Amino acid sequence: MSVTHGRPGGRRAVVELVPRDQAPLLARRFYGEHGPVSPITASLAHVPELLDVALPFIDAALGPGTLGERLKEIAVLRTSALLGCRYCVQTHTAVALDSGLTAAEVRALRGEAELAPAFGAARDRAAIAWIDAVASGRGPVDGVLRELASTHFDDPELVELTMAVTSTAMLNRYCSSLALPTSARTLARLARAGFK
Amino acid sequence: MSAEVTAGTLSTPLVDAIAAGRISGRVWFYSNYHCNLRCSYCLTESAPQVQHRELGREAITERSREAEELGFTAFGVTGGEPFVLDYMPELIAELGRRLPTIVLSNATLFNARRLRELEPLADLPVHVQISLDHPDPVENDEMRGPENFRKVVEAVPKLKERGIGVRIATTLEDPAAVDPEERERLCELHRALGVPDEDHVVRPIVHRGRAVSNDMGLPAGFEQLEPELTVTRDGAFYSPFAPTVLGGRLDTDLLVTRATSPLSTAADALVRIVDRAPPGNDARIGIR
Repeated sequence: MSVTHGRPGGRRAVVELVPRDQAPLLARRFYGEHGPVSPITASLAHVPELLDVALPFIDAALGPGTLGERLKEIAVLRTSALLGCRYCVQTHTAVALDSGLTAAEVRALRGEAELAPAFGAARDRAAIAWIDAVASGRGPVDGVLRELASTHFDDPELVELTMAVTSTAMLNRYCSSLALPTSARTLARLARAGFK
Repeated sequence: MSAEVTAGTLSTPLVDAIAAGRISGRVWFYSNYHCNLRCSYCLTESAPQVQHRELGREAITERSREAEELGFTAFGVTGGEPFVLDYMPELIAELGRRLPTIVLSNATLFNARRLRELEPLADLPVHVQISLDHPDPVENDEMRGPENFRKVVEAVPKLKERGIGVRIATTLEDPAAVDPEERERLCELHRALGVPDEDHVVRPIVHRGRAVSNDMGLPAGFEQLEPELTVTRDGAFYSPFAPTVLGGRLDTDLLVTRATSPLSTAADALVRIVDRAPPGNDARIGIR
């Protein structure tokens, strides 16, 4: 399956990122007192009523949940790579490495290496097959894949995994369309680990 | 907004917040941002040539109907100068027939035709709040522009003669530091114009908008201002002192929601903001 990453970060976002001193009232709790603010937050802050529901939703959909952090990061990184979101791939490469995925696993999820040597566990392979089908397919998921997924995941887990993929897809299009910039800190982290 | 009927009264979080005094019952409409004057402390950098950002008569009418249904108890209209808009006298009368209404004005555009158009406001619960900052024409006009003093002292009695409610608002750099003799002269003036003490409000210059550029006024953010839902063309804000403009850019630090329709979206968000405020927030300075 072809994977595109888009161009590296550092470009100007399509919309202005709302600075901390202009953060609307509903946005303030997501900005915190100090430190960097995610460009997703700083762009959504233009419409605070949207930010107020979107970020808790994203946290719930992409947080560890019952699947655990590792599988959620596999879903986010793989989907982002398939949908060519430069910002999400870069940001979640760093998150995935920090979550304990190996460099070989991350390269495979990014489409830079074969999947089979990196992922030996049948549950991981079933998850990735499901992720690929949901992220890239049209219409219902193939019956064979449904069967495979149901052998490794119960219904709540499959709902959570599917929601992780589809929420990531939404964010992929959001971040790509608005050309959100990857932070210098993340780019430095990637460089240290040998990633772009 | 969730609602339940208790003892014959429709109870909603907004209605309860208004009843408890946690949110003002008055909903404000920024009719426009342009003005025939260019005051040195203007919150919105208003002047003749600025972006009009007009909210529109239809939008004000629709949002005011929603506000009434939601349980707001009064209307306010401000700008810019609302009376640069031809439809304003009729609109204020419409609003005043439904709920008590206050409209803020510099009163410099009240020629004979405008005064005739304002006559239907008599006997309605409507007040025109007019700015008058100093008992001396020269000092008043330094802040508000040439001929402002003369036009105001001419307009106020004409409104009063027609039975229209008038309030005088005096905006000062530091109300606590004003010379008592000067203040007394100002009060004598508004009384002579037919405006009693209870209809004279004194408030500080707020350090937002053009007052920032001119290094004037008191800080006024979330901690200092009272929650009063304020509808503008650019969204709903926390207070009429919130949708300010600095360097031509609208401030968003006190933005509540971008959507103003349905108004319940903004009202619900304001309730959430007020409910989330830390307890013991007693620093408000009651600027209205």
